[in-house]
Amino acid sequence: MANRRIASRLVGTVSALAVALAAGAALAQQTTLRIFTGGQQRPDVMRQIVDVYQQRNPGVKVEIEVGGATSEQQQQYLNTVLSAKDTALDVVLIDVIRPAQWATQGWAEPLDGYLGAERDAVMARYLPAYREANVVDGKVMALPYFADAQFLYYRKDLLAKHGVEPPANWEALIEGARKVLAAEGNANLAGFQTAGAPIEGTVCTFLVPLWGAGGALVEGGRVNVATPAAQRALKLWSDMRAANVTPPNLAEIVTDRIRLNLQAGNLLYAMNWGYVWNRVENDADSQVKGRIGVVPLPGFVGGQPATCIGGWQLAVSAFSKSKEEAVKLVRFLSSPEVSKMQAIFASHLPVFPEVYDDAEVLKANPWFKDALPVVKTARSRPVSPRYPEVSDIIRTNVNAFLAGTKTAEQALGDMNGRLPRAMR
Amino acid sequence: MAGRLGPLERGERLLGFAMLTPAALLLGLVVVYPVWRLLVSSFHQLDQGTRAGTAPFVGFENYAYAFADDRFWGATLNTLLFVVITVPGAVVVGLGLALLANLPFRVKWPVRLGLLLPWALPVVFAGLIFRWFFEYRQGIVNDVVVALGFEPLQWLSRPGLAFFAVCLAIVWKTSSFVALVLLAGLQTIPRELYEAAEVDGATRWQRFWRITLPLLRPAIVVALIFRTITAIQTFDIPYAMTGGGPGDSTETLAMYIHKTTIDFLDFGYGSALAVLMFALSAVATSVYLRHTRRREDAP
Repeated sequence: MANRRIASRLVGTVSALAVALAAGAALAQQTTLRIFTGGQQRPDVMRQIVDVYQQRNPGVKVEIEVGGATSEQQQQYLNTVLSAKDTALDVVLIDVIRPAQWATQGWAEPLDGYLGAERDAVMARYLPAYREANVVDGKVMALPYFADAQFLYYRKDLLAKHGVEPPANWEALIEGARKVLAAEGNANLAGFQTAGAPIEGTVCTFLVPLWGAGGALVEGGRVNVATPAAQRALKLWSDMRAANVTPPNLAEIVTDRIRLNLQAGNLLYAMNWGYVWNRVENDADSQVKGRIGVVPLPGFVGGQPATCIGGWQLAVSAFSKSKEEAVKLVRFLSSPEVSKMQAIFASHLPVFPEVYDDAEVLKANPWFKDALPVVKTARSRPVSPRYPEVSDIIRTNVNAFLAGTKTAEQALGDMNGRLPRAMR
Repeated sequence: MAGRLGPLERGERLLGFAMLTPAALLLGLVVVYPVWRLLVSSFHQLDQGTRAGTAPFVGFENYAYAFADDRFWGATLNTLLFVVITVPGAVVVGLGLALLANLPFRVKWPVRLGLLLPWALPVVFAGLIFRWFFEYRQGIVNDVVVALGFEPLQWLSRPGLAFFAVCLAIVWKTSSFVALVLLAGLQTIPRELYEAAEVDGATRWQRFWRITLPLLRPAIVVALIFRTITAIQTFDIPYAMTGGGPGDSTETLAMYIHKTTIDFLDFGYGSALAVLMFALSAVATSVYLRHTRRREDAP
């Protein structure tokens, strides 16, 4: 009797254990990946895309964490999370300026080992600028999610009404804006806006006219902005202010505020990134649907136009506990299929040249037909592991100049004084 | 009988030390050790350029850089200006509020609530609220300015105006704390003194100068010390309102340290700046303590 009872109990225990183990195995098959993205990089579109991935990979669940609206706010948060070697994030969407910093800090898992023999073939498919931006010291630190560059958005209806052509140079832009503003007499209508607040976008507000005037941040291996080209770059913005084409509070303007102003019908010209198109055409509160045109940014008379390269990359966190699965997700998100989805859902510029010619993509974004050459010739902001500091020096000084705290000479002199240490 | 303790007293002394140990250990862990680490890292190069695990010793290089760094001096000057403007500002406004709250109202809670609310509000919220007040197009301040027939002002992107706006927000936020401290002080002043003064024919003004203010001095000193120390650490309100802008005209020392360590991950230089700010705090506090001690010693 006693033996039988023990035996039956044993059977019970063993079967309970077996059930528990089976459940454990089922749980182990279910991987949860957490991906970090910015509030301005259309997390809603990423959700749609990731849902497709989940359908195809039933064992994977993807959570999306949405960070701050601007690039530097996101990086500030990531600095603390990753300095603490936190394992919570598996995939992180990073700005095109970050891979060098991520490589030095050891935050990104190099992807070469995962790509294996395919590595060179995979990388060869991307636009050259993105292939270069994501390879640091010969290692693939991230894969591109979408490309970006700055364009000139303009009010088709207002330009047509007053017989003004989309400007080919800055001088023509100022002249056209003055004409339209004077004729409209609308106190709420501003002529032109670009980022002027101390944020990442303001770095491009400086670099675009600097490059346009034939200058560069580093010349002959030395940081030097005490140049006529840099003077001319800042003078463009003070001329626009003097002509009342930019509003007096340009030094408060952040990237997405420009989009909101354009969308509310309060802006004639905007210098902004690719995402704006989809919002002005599709947002319920847009007052300017069908009335916006997009052209490449102007240059100076007799000079070459320039634009800042942007775009967002997918890095696998070095502290992730499911790197294999994370890499698979990244490879899906960095595929021509997803590039096309993003182009249609969010007017995010593709990282594969062939997607620009896709009929459905062109139907959603007619201006993409002229966008490829712009993205191909867009220039990079300085590459440095200390990029946050480099950026801060440029943007605070440009912001001070726009606010009238510093003269052009002071702002450029202060940049010259501080940049060499940050770029050492 | 100092120095010659009986066995019982010696035992008690030992017990006393034993009971102090946990607190001492805790303090060592959360105060002494971090401050020590801060000092150590301020003598090393510890930034984005140094690969993980390497941190060369650089002696006083970080400090030398700080003393040659215009932005450090600018931030220090801004911090001191915030102290000099907002501390007296908060004390004057706080005193007014405390006197108001001390009046014999029949219903006291609305006044008390009004006193507590700014104090209880998270500081960043206060900063964000004031940022919207001072917005160029949507802000209510410019609504008033325009209604009065003037051009709208760029409150947050003109250096002088931005500084003024931030000061206003800080005074609003901090004067309620001062008022609470002073209100407690006011309520300890015996009524009889006022009654006696009234009998002697003292005016309202004389009563305030001769009774209220002298008897309130200890409370005012406490409020001043606390307010000065927190003013040296000013961070949240300018951070939320202007982000230190335009340029770096409203950037405080605490903001520069935050930027250096959190944004630039330059822990070496950030630590040196933090040590310097600690020194500034220590100097300010000791000045106050000295001053109050002298007052107490005086007959």
